[in-house]
Amino acid sequence: MVSPVVLLAVPLGLALCVPLVGMASRKAAGFVPVAASLFNLVVSVGLLPDALEEPIVANLGGFAPPFAITLFAGPVGVLLSALVALAGLAVSLYALSYISEGPTIRYHTLYTLLLVGATGVVLTGDVFNLFVFFEILCISSYALVAYVGDRAGTEASIKYLIQGALGSALLLIGIGLLYGLFGTLNMADIAARMGSVDPGPVFVAMVLIITGLGVEAAIFPLNAWLPDAHSSAPSSISAMLSGIAIEVGLYAVVRMVFTVFGASSMLMFLVFMGLLTLLVGELCAFAQSNIKRMLAYSSIGQMGLIVFALALATVHSVTGGLFQLVSHTLSKALLFLAVGYMVYRSGSMEISSLEGMGRRMPLTSFAFTVGAFSLVGLPPFIGFPSKFLIVRSALAEQGVLLQVLVGLLLAATVVEGAYFLRVIQTVYFKKGRQQEARREAPAVALFSMFVFVVLIVVIGVYPNLISNALESGASELLERADYVRSVLG
Amino acid sequence: MSFLHDYVYYIGAFGLVAVGLLILLVKRNLIKLIIGLSILDTGVNMLLISVGYITGGTAPIFSRPGLSEGGMVDPVPQALVLTAIVIGVAILALALGLAVRFYKNCGTLDLRTAKELKW
Repeated sequence: MVSPVVLLAVPLGLALCVPLVGMASRKAAGFVPVAASLFNLVVSVGLLPDALEEPIVANLGGFAPPFAITLFAGPVGVLLSALVALAGLAVSLYALSYISEGPTIRYHTLYTLLLVGATGVVLTGDVFNLFVFFEILCISSYALVAYVGDRAGTEASIKYLIQGALGSALLLIGIGLLYGLFGTLNMADIAARMGSVDPGPVFVAMVLIITGLGVEAAIFPLNAWLPDAHSSAPSSISAMLSGIAIEVGLYAVVRMVFTVFGASSMLMFLVFMGLLTLLVGELCAFAQSNIKRMLAYSSIGQMGLIVFALALATVHSVTGGLFQLVSHTLSKALLFLAVGYMVYRSGSMEISSLEGMGRRMPLTSFAFTVGAFSLVGLPPFIGFPSKFLIVRSALAEQGVLLQVLVGLLLAATVVEGAYFLRVIQTVYFKKGRQQEARREAPAVALFSMFVFVVLIVVIGVYPNLISNALESGASELLERADYVRSVLG
Repeated sequence: MSFLHDYVYYIGAFGLVAVGLLILLVKRNLIKLIIGLSILDTGVNMLLISVGYITGGTAPIFSRPGLSEGGMVDPVPQALVLTAIVIGVAILALALGLAVRFYKNCGTLDLRTAKELKW
């Protein structure tokens, strides 16, 4: 069994090799992120059976747990790092053809760093280390949003950078307060001593940390940067930001709330914020005429749904939330990848310019349709079992309030269905003004979309493939004492 | 007075954070916003240092003669701040790079002109 350290060390080393490889051959540089994410995927999947049995804890530098930087590869960490690597692999294949102009070598370097940051956040067991990986993730995404260098991209990147940097500063203040209170940075150690200090300052630290991380997790009202950044970035980066970056931010929030603070008093607040995020996101998405902005707002809505499910904090609802997280990553990444080439061929991001795409790019349009149906939650796609689990677990709770909330959630799903079906109608059933020749996306891009389509359908038909792993992930998140025991012994 | 004396570093740190936040909220010039971010970062770094500071304390070098247990500052926050400074510099450099690009695109640094993207 390999140590989880290689999941960070190898991609980080490869990221810094990209410029060297690029000096030899510009074309070869694009294969470095492919290699890095393939490596991570293989190692994560290899670690998964062991991690499900017993969380793998690696202490860096050979120190004992509270002093060393701990890497905690439990079910959630390994699953998410596999998910990051999987999405990273498909998107880096897509980028081989999609990213052909501009400073491509820098793109591939930053892209690999983004993968390292995301993997680091999900594996670390140390709050300051979390901050560092979070910054690696954020700084590379700020730069990648502005990759094209046009006016919209620069503007979006500046907004993202200022809000993100403010969030990081709040996070760091919170971490400083935690260190002042507990004298340790190890998550398990802080969790173990949570009862022994004055709750007032802990609450201040928690609010600062959740606000800081919430900016990246796009929880309403901290998500003003998201529609701009996700719609102005190159489509491959939009797929990574929507599919990986915000999920990782959300994971960090959940890890802090559940494991470090054990804050059951915050949960009802988060349920409401999740639902509010869901409603705001879906309603704004409905009003958009720009396809990429529509998808970006839909991401906000989906994040709200995941927050809602996770904050209910029962084993079933957290399983549903994690399932929805996986489903959103696969579906939204697929949607952005498909839209990337549709927009590229039609030359405009307006939904109306996609008329007749069903004839011009049948395979890409099919991939878009699969992603859209899955996100809405139609069977036999992955979105169905995940939404079904969330609704069922929420209804299993007693109380009229929760039933009203579930009603609102389902209403938001109807809105979601409405705007996705509108796009699908435009793509298939409206004739374009001028008949243009059929021209598909390049083969390698189609292949990466095909990977997502297959996964969406296979997991949708056989949800049991991942539901056991997700369930042990849910109990890992909910059982604080087990977490503390497996780190501190 | 003793309150001021005991907490002077915290007051200074949170003062800098407040100044940074105020600049971010009030100013509309991109360079000024970046200066605000930088001041905010400095405040946060100072806060981290003051968390581990002991009045009159010195560096915890154990080979130094005459070092008492209460006379050392906590070295961990200082290591954290070194990292945080590096991250701050990276953000600052990227922000200034974006500011240059923004100026080339728009001919101004006034963010009120940045209205191409809206909700």
